[in-house]
Amino acid sequence: MSNKALIYIELDNNKAAKVSKEIISHALHNFRGFNVDGIVLGDKESINAALDDLRELNVQNLFIVQNELLNTKNTSLYAQILADFIFDNRPEILLIGATEDGRDIAPRLASKLNIGLTADCTDLQIDDAANLIATRPTYGGKLMASIASKTTPNFATVRSGAFKYSASLCKCTPNITYITPDITEFIDNPKIISIDYKQVSEDWTCSDVIVAGGLGLTTKENFDLIYKLAELLKAKPAASRAAVEQGWAPQDIQVGQTGNSVSPKLYIAFGISGAMQHTAGITNSDKIIAVNTDKDAPIMHSADFAIECDAVDVINSLIQKLSN
Amino acid sequence: MTFNIVVCIKQVPDTADIKWTEHNTMQREGLDSIINPYDNGAIHIAKAIKKFITDVKIIAVSMGPLQAKDSLKEAIALGCDEAYLLSDKKFSGSDTLATANTLSKFIEAKVPDFDLIICGQQAIDGDTAQTPSSLAQKLNIPQATNITEIVDANDIYIELIKETSIYKQRLQLSYPALIACKVNSTNFLPSIADYIKSQKSEIEILDAEAINISSEQTGLKGSPTQVKNAYRPIIERSNEVLENLSANECADFILDKIKKCKV
Repeated sequence: MSNKALIYIELDNNKAAKVSKEIISHALHNFRGFNVDGIVLGDKESINAALDDLRELNVQNLFIVQNELLNTKNTSLYAQILADFIFDNRPEILLIGATEDGRDIAPRLASKLNIGLTADCTDLQIDDAANLIATRPTYGGKLMASIASKTTPNFATVRSGAFKYSASLCKCTPNITYITPDITEFIDNPKIISIDYKQVSEDWTCSDVIVAGGLGLTTKENFDLIYKLAELLKAKPAASRAAVEQGWAPQDIQVGQTGNSVSPKLYIAFGISGAMQHTAGITNSDKIIAVNTDKDAPIMHSADFAIECDAVDVINSLIQKLSN
Repeated sequence: MTFNIVVCIKQVPDTADIKWTEHNTMQREGLDSIINPYDNGAIHIAKAIKKFITDVKIIAVSMGPLQAKDSLKEAIALGCDEAYLLSDKKFSGSDTLATANTLSKFIEAKVPDFDLIICGQQAIDGDTAQTPSSLAQKLNIPQATNITEIVDANDIYIELIKETSIYKQRLQLSYPALIACKVNSTNFLPSIADYIKSQKSEIEILDAEAINISSEQTGLKGSPTQVKNAYRPIIERSNEVLENLSANECADFILDKIKKCKV
């Protein structure tokens, strides 16, 4: 009998989340001797809305857990249902996208099952004994650690953008099984008073060109030039953690260890010093250009092209050229 | 009745400052240790609850070597009322599950009548964000993570804002419960009175026996995950350096590269 790898498919605006698809792609290509299954949780409305997208996934079995209580993203309930399912299904490997909810549900689930969990992995391999070897950055990305677990299922959360999603290998559709969860004992705590879904911008993390700004831009007004430049270039704007912490940019465009991992053809970093915290999120870029007045800034050593120049001057010059 | 808050604190190396030896191990000498910035934020949130509830006691706990006492003194200076250090050779090498086991045993032994546990969302060294949810499950209490703000608190529940990149929730959490806060800051500074108090304070040190934890549940033995290999990431890039160019020339260079990648 084959081993089973089970992937929790998170729903994001009535679609399978990008990270879930990336994990499935990676598992299908790399987990020899494993069946790759998926499980998705949601209320009827969101499941129905996502169904076409879910059918496109190349998992062998797709388990759909549908219940009206799953409409508010109560993560404790999600963990409870997943624990019950895993107890019955007994996969050898369990993977969850390292989204904020994924990183809330997964440790609760691991703790419930009393199993090990490796967080926020950027690589997953299977060793000769069919064990999962999960690799993750640690110390702000300064050190990579490959981690194995003594307990089954081998369990990891996986960072968005760590793997590239590739469309179907075959035209096969998954076997779909609907599951009615046993949640009679569920206590409504926390009680969700309201939930507002954010306007989800199209996925920008793998666009052709990303222009990113950091503390070196010195003011919010200067940072705003990043948006203007991005618009002129039809590129996507991004920010370092420091720039986000200054309040110059929203968190959803933050790049780095604790933000998004990006994989553009060209990443241009303006005034970003490039602590490993940041560079950990850009290693999948094809080319990196760094513009910084400090030629010893870490990013200047990890870029393809290190331009020693004032970032704001260069941005202004670019805007001027592009506006003409 | 006193409202008991436990704040979990991790002492971490200042990652902005890490240096490495030739053998890819961390150069520990001269490395500064700080309170994990998210835990600093957690203390700040605990203090904010005092605005809503009158009789609040904030108990700080950390797990680590004896030097973590310094971080706990700092926690008292920042406004915690008392502090415990869980320190024992048996605890060393704990992964997040073993850490959650150990913290849960401490809470059961020393603060069984807790109302709220506050953690930082994650620690800047490991960045796993796993201990809070894992601890909540061990204590069998509800949790709310990614908390950015406290709206209200009373004897029965606390009302919070949770924010992820996908949604924003307003939720009420009844006690006992755990929250993990995304307030990342080293900017909160102690008051003079709290600083003086911290200098006089005693940090109680507890070993495995004191919290009734068996060696199978903590440390390396209690940790299902094991690091097989650690290495420093190698970045292979051409690293061409361009100096002494005008902003105009730099802009031309960049436009040329953009053109090439858009073709």
